Amino acid sequence: MSSSVGFLSLVFAIGINFYLFLSRYIFKFQKQKFNLFIRFSSILTLLSFFSLMYAYVVSDFSNYNVFQNSHSNKPLIYKISGTWGNHEGSMLLWLSILSIFSFFFSFTKNIEDNFQKLTLIIQAFLHILFGLFIVFTSNPFLVNSILVNEGLGLNPILQDPGLAVHPPILYAGYVGYSIVFSIAIAGLFQNTDDEWLYVAKKWSLISWTFLTGGIALGSYWAYYELGWGGWWFWDPVENISLMPWISGLALVHSLMMVRGEQAIKKWIVFLSILCFSLSVFGTFLVRSGILTSVHSFAADASRGIFILLIFFIVTGFGFLVFLLKEPKKSNTLNLLFINKVSALVINNILMIIATLTILLGTIYPIIIEVLYNKRISVGGPYFNATVIPIMIPGFLLMSIAPILSWQTNKINNSKKYVVAFIILSVLVILQSYFLDFNTWGFVGLLLGFWIILASIIAIFSSYKFKININFFKIINPHIAHIGVGIAIIGITCSSVFQNELDFNLNEGDKFNVNGKTVLFEKIETTNEINFQSLRGKFLFDTEKNQSKEIEAGKNYYPVSKMITSEAGILHQWNKDIYFILGEQKNNEWFVKVLINPFVSFIWLGVIIMMYSGLIAISRR
Amino acid sequence: MNRIFILTPLIVLLIICIFSLVYLLSGKDPNKPPSALLNKDVPIFESSSLYNAKDIIKTKDIKNKKTLINFFASWCSPCKIEHPLFFEIRKKYPELYLLGFNHKDPISDAKKYLKDDGNPYDFVGVDSDGLIALEFGVFGLPETYLVNEDGKIIYKFMGPITMDVLKNEIEPLL
Repeated sequence: MSSSVGFLSLVFAIGINFYLFLSRYIFKFQKQKFNLFIRFSSILTLLSFFSLMYAYVVSDFSNYNVFQNSHSNKPLIYKISGTWGNHEGSMLLWLSILSIFSFFFSFTKNIEDNFQKLTLIIQAFLHILFGLFIVFTSNPFLVNSILVNEGLGLNPILQDPGLAVHPPILYAGYVGYSIVFSIAIAGLFQNTDDEWLYVAKKWSLISWTFLTGGIALGSYWAYYELGWGGWWFWDPVENISLMPWISGLALVHSLMMVRGEQAIKKWIVFLSILCFSLSVFGTFLVRSGILTSVHSFAADASRGIFILLIFFIVTGFGFLVFLLKEPKKSNTLNLLFINKVSALVINNILMIIATLTILLGTIYPIIIEVLYNKRISVGGPYFNATVIPIMIPGFLLMSIAPILSWQTNKINNSKKYVVAFIILSVLVILQSYFLDFNTWGFVGLLLGFWIILASIIAIFSSYKFKININFFKIINPHIAHIGVGIAIIGITCSSVFQNELDFNLNEGDKFNVNGKTVLFEKIETTNEINFQSLRGKFLFDTEKNQSKEIEAGKNYYPVSKMITSEAGILHQWNKDIYFILGEQKNNEWFVKVLINPFVSFIWLGVIIMMYSGLIAISRR
Repeated sequence: MNRIFILTPLIVLLIICIFSLVYLLSGKDPNKPPSALLNKDVPIFESSSLYNAKDIIKTKDIKNKKTLINFFASWCSPCKIEHPLFFEIRKKYPELYLLGFNHKDPISDAKKYLKDDGNPYDFVGVDSDGLIALEFGVFGLPETYLVNEDGKIIYKFMGPITMDVLKNEIEPLL
């Protein structure tokens, strides 16, 4: 029943969007009526999504999708998240988020009616493309041809609170770029005043903030769930999310800097098209199963070809309009050796090179396999050796960019910065000399601290300190950059100065971690609702003679016959102590302990960046 | 000059799409590497009969006879579709040994399925935990393997076998 409701409302929603799309050419609509239709189709799409969710919640196994991916023993939250834990459901989520964005955009005030209408027509066009994709190749409402009483379960690796919310937030980021894309294309067609830039800025900030949150959640999940001790693996799916993130960053910065320069406006249009194209391309790479990763879903060539076609149409259409309706160039850029505009241009170039480098590394295996029929994989070493050096000059520039002038080469208080930089360099050199020296560690720490220091100097020397909302809005760019600095310190320390210790232990053994005694108490097995758990319990002496218990082990999920590893992490502000329980051999358990310094700084930095994103949305 | 810059994204787009399309059309799938088992020995397995837990079949029991191994389950609808074909094979090639593996199925459901639709197999082995399927590298049900007298896998088919597959691909090997 819920399946039929879901399917019919989906088809009906696509129909309305088709009608709206035609309205540009055939039926003419009043603005009010048009917006009403858009909202109605959004509500229908959501109805479709929620009927699928309902089928999951009540474990309606007459729905083939629910049967394949759910199980009646699963806790309620994972029944709900099971809705998007599979290919079909996640595509419906994609479409629903697209609808939500259209819905809210239809309420935007103070933009020209025709412009808003055209933007929404392009949204309707995207809705049709992805809607048809769902109906023809990924229908989540298929009826199960056999009567069954039990489902086949959900991938246990996905039964995790972090991952339950990761896809919706990440998708909100990806799909949010669709509005920016539509705005840019509508802007090209209408070539009106610059009002659209402010609208685009708001939406691109929303998307970017969501994308940041989505990537960070995925990364955090990988950190404690995959049990490899790291938080970033240059997995193809991670790369795919990083590309629109970096180009989105370039877009957000360009939008904040633009002051009517035609060249930058043109660049903004290009970035808007690029961001959404990369999002769709990412969807294609994941959904076609063309790349293997932890996110592999059932691969299907027809799906792949359909979504490749969508990618081709969307991107091709975008760049073709860009080619034909290119904004006229009238004034040139005010480029000086070092002013705001030149810093912006340099940073944009670096970000685009970084994006292209990641793109090349990601699709290189496909090209090689087509040409030479050989399977290769491009991983961490390539990306670390290329992307990081490209980003470094950008980070350096970033520390001073907010205080650069528009018109001159002069930097206010430049002496303060020079002195601060010299002192900082000496401190970091001393640190490296007395502790273990590592080139990357040195560069990373210097950059991270320098960005924070320069931003703090800028805040205190350029503005009068006041505690009110307006002040926080003014210093927001510096706050965002402090977030980046903190994240860089976390990234550097946790990757360069990571320490690994291996032990073979019996129950009751004591061992030494970082000068502290740890007791391997016992192994415990318990039966939970939908899995069996095996846990090693460790008693860790912390400061002030308080001991903390850490559990590390594995879960076994009988329905899907999978084992997942559950790392035990002791979080401290300056380090994470990360326990992994290995195999048992000759009555001894293999235990790996990783000491990851300053991991918490990464999450703190990300939270600060997201906070700044939110503040920037409210600032005009 | 300026035009070239604006054309570049379109050219890059075209190149990416062409490579991806060729990749997809060539039937390559990173999740399904070419079967590593083809022309190799049958994996070592041991399974009890669906009807009598004491009745065990092992790898060496299928030596010296041509064997068709089929993985199926009561919950698998494509299996139901290919099911009648095994009776045809049974009739046409009485000397061929038909070995079915019941995959991740409750015993009662499996028995009911074979009672309702008939049992074409010489032996039905239980693979309730899917370990045998794992050894064979089964991706999804149904899957069918042909093993020759020397115990080598000479043919593998993924998905429900059809009359065409039977006539053109399996029969020439029998």
